[in-house]
Amino acid sequence: MSDVDSKQVQPMLSLREIRKTYVMGDQVVNALDGVDIDIYPGEFVAIMGPSGSGKSTLMHIIGCLDAPTSGSYLLDGIEVAEMDDYELANVRNKKIGFVFQGFNLLARTSAQQNVELPLVYGRRKDRAERAIAALEKVGLGNRLDHKPNQLSGGQQQRVAIARALASDPLIILADEPTGNLASLQSEEIMQIFQELNDEGITIVMVTHEPDIGRHCKRTVTIKDGHLLRDELVENRVMAADLLVEMRQEHDLLHTA
Amino acid sequence: MNIFECMRVAVRGLISNKMRTMLTMLGIIIGVAVTILVVAIGEGASARVQQTVADLGTNLLTIWNGPPSMHIAPAAALAASSGTSATSSNGVPVPPQAPNRLTLQQAEFIQQNFKQTVAAVSPIIRGNVQIRMGGTNATTNLQGVETTYPFVNNASVELGSFFTQSDVDGNAKVCVVGETVVNNMTGSPNTNVIGRSIYINKQEFKILGVLTPKGTGAWGQDQDDVILCPITTAMHRILHRNLTVDFMGVRCTSVKMMPLATQQIASYLRVEHHLQPPFPQNDDFEIHSATEILQRQQSITGTMTTLLSIVAVISLVVGGIGIMNIMLVSVTERTREIGIRKAIGATPRDILLQFLIESSTISLLGGIIGIALGVTGAVILAKLGGWNVIVDPSSVVAALVVSAGVGIFFGIYPASKAAGLHPIEALRFE
Repeated sequence: MSDVDSKQVQPMLSLREIRKTYVMGDQVVNALDGVDIDIYPGEFVAIMGPSGSGKSTLMHIIGCLDAPTSGSYLLDGIEVAEMDDYELANVRNKKIGFVFQGFNLLARTSAQQNVELPLVYGRRKDRAERAIAALEKVGLGNRLDHKPNQLSGGQQQRVAIARALASDPLIILADEPTGNLASLQSEEIMQIFQELNDEGITIVMVTHEPDIGRHCKRTVTIKDGHLLRDELVENRVMAADLLVEMRQEHDLLHTA
Repeated sequence: MNIFECMRVAVRGLISNKMRTMLTMLGIIIGVAVTILVVAIGEGASARVQQTVADLGTNLLTIWNGPPSMHIAPAAALAASSGTSATSSNGVPVPPQAPNRLTLQQAEFIQQNFKQTVAAVSPIIRGNVQIRMGGTNATTNLQGVETTYPFVNNASVELGSFFTQSDVDGNAKVCVVGETVVNNMTGSPNTNVIGRSIYINKQEFKILGVLTPKGTGAWGQDQDDVILCPITTAMHRILHRNLTVDFMGVRCTSVKMMPLATQQIASYLRVEHHLQPPFPQNDDFEIHSATEILQRQQSITGTMTTLLSIVAVISLVVGGIGIMNIMLVSVTERTREIGIRKAIGATPRDILLQFLIESSTISLLGGIIGIALGVTGAVILAKLGGWNVIVDPSSVVAALVVSAGVGIFFGIYPASKAAGLHPIEALRFE
């Protein structure tokens, strides 16, 4: 798989024979039908697949938002498949940072307070400093008191990333993080993710856009609840380079 | 998330929906305000009656003409008590015979013959009269009394003197006035009116004294808006009633002697009035003790308080249901927010607490506003209406506790609904 495999490092998360079955009326839907994945520290994985492939369900299980019907899920060496609601809430709070497609910030609440929210539930004392540090990391140190409706889509998503970073999670999970953004803003978000990954943060991202997937280091393709492909990304796209090009084009268009 | 943090979130949520919050609170506000007001009025009334009884002394009996039903509708009461309809042979209703009246002679007899139990008797005849002094006119309550009146009724003369037995024997045109009368006639309660003339129903009376003020009575009446004159003068010169009196006060020798005194007086009056058994159903008089009046008033107040408390409780329950309704709407509206909070690590308990605190904040704030309104209402009643109201601190505390309780009780269902939401379904909610 990846280069870390050979160094005998323990996987950060390890899914074995994960199944998820939904019963809809008299129909039984196998959203996931026996999925095995290992993700190691420092990886940047894209989970790809068409809609209805089961990638969102997989994401929810990895994010401890949903429990698998059967199978084993070790997160940081701990079995989470059989945890109750309180333990799962604690895992979500301490070990996982979420970034959603629709940003999912609390309305009428400042950027800083949004970022503080997981720290509040985690009963952290140093939440103001941490929240400000996280917002500065995503380049919003000057927007602490802005409410979501005073920020652009890209800025809102950066607040969401700061919120995911604030409690120092093991892993950041992003569900179509660029789905609601224009291409320039998407690229900016991907640049942040790449920078964070370069700092050693593990990122797992769900996307159906191959262009976005090529920003990652590894892609896992799901189809009909099965693992279809698991491959390393060749010719990885670096958002920083692309942004330079895009801005030049943009400037040309406007100066012409 | 700690309680303080929850409260901040709750209050912020409530402020962003001011109108809705106010309307939701209204049920609680009304319930609490009514409770506070009713309790204050009830307490005030009881306190006043207790004060009156304490002023009069517990060894006082009063004898009245006829049972109350006869005062209100003598014909109907008599028809009911005789068991036959009072009609003549040709079917025309006949007015019933007037019941026997208490007389001066009977008062005299009770005073003279029951020395062991009765210290003094004060027969009273009363009526409304027109009074004039200088150019000022007014109506007031005239009471014709014996010289025993001050002793029996715990009254005293502040200025001047009471009239004497010779005034009573001689139908003298002399009187003692209450402070309100002085005020109404001269414009100031402190004017010296001793020796001056006052016209009662156009007859000239000489003022001998001014009564010590007694204030407001048990039923809210002004006890100082009164003129006392010799009972004989009132009977023969003003009210023109021959020897019958309206009621008498009987001062017993001690509280222990009261049952015996009651028994002796009743037996005497039954013989005197030619009454047939059974007693006391056929009595045409009533004997009450001051404590009995107190108990009766307290039971009336108690019934009223109970009834209005039920209304208040119903209002609180309705208010609580209103809170529950709004909280359910709020949970549905904020499903996505709940999903976000859960996704980033809120436990079911955190969500439960958030909504419980929100609902109890609504009802507690409603309770506080209700208390403020109730107390204000009580003060206004006291100032403008002259009611005696007492706001009991324990009723304020109870109102606070109950309103917080209502918020928690009716918040449990919506809050547990919110806490039980599945994070993914909550996040998908549009």
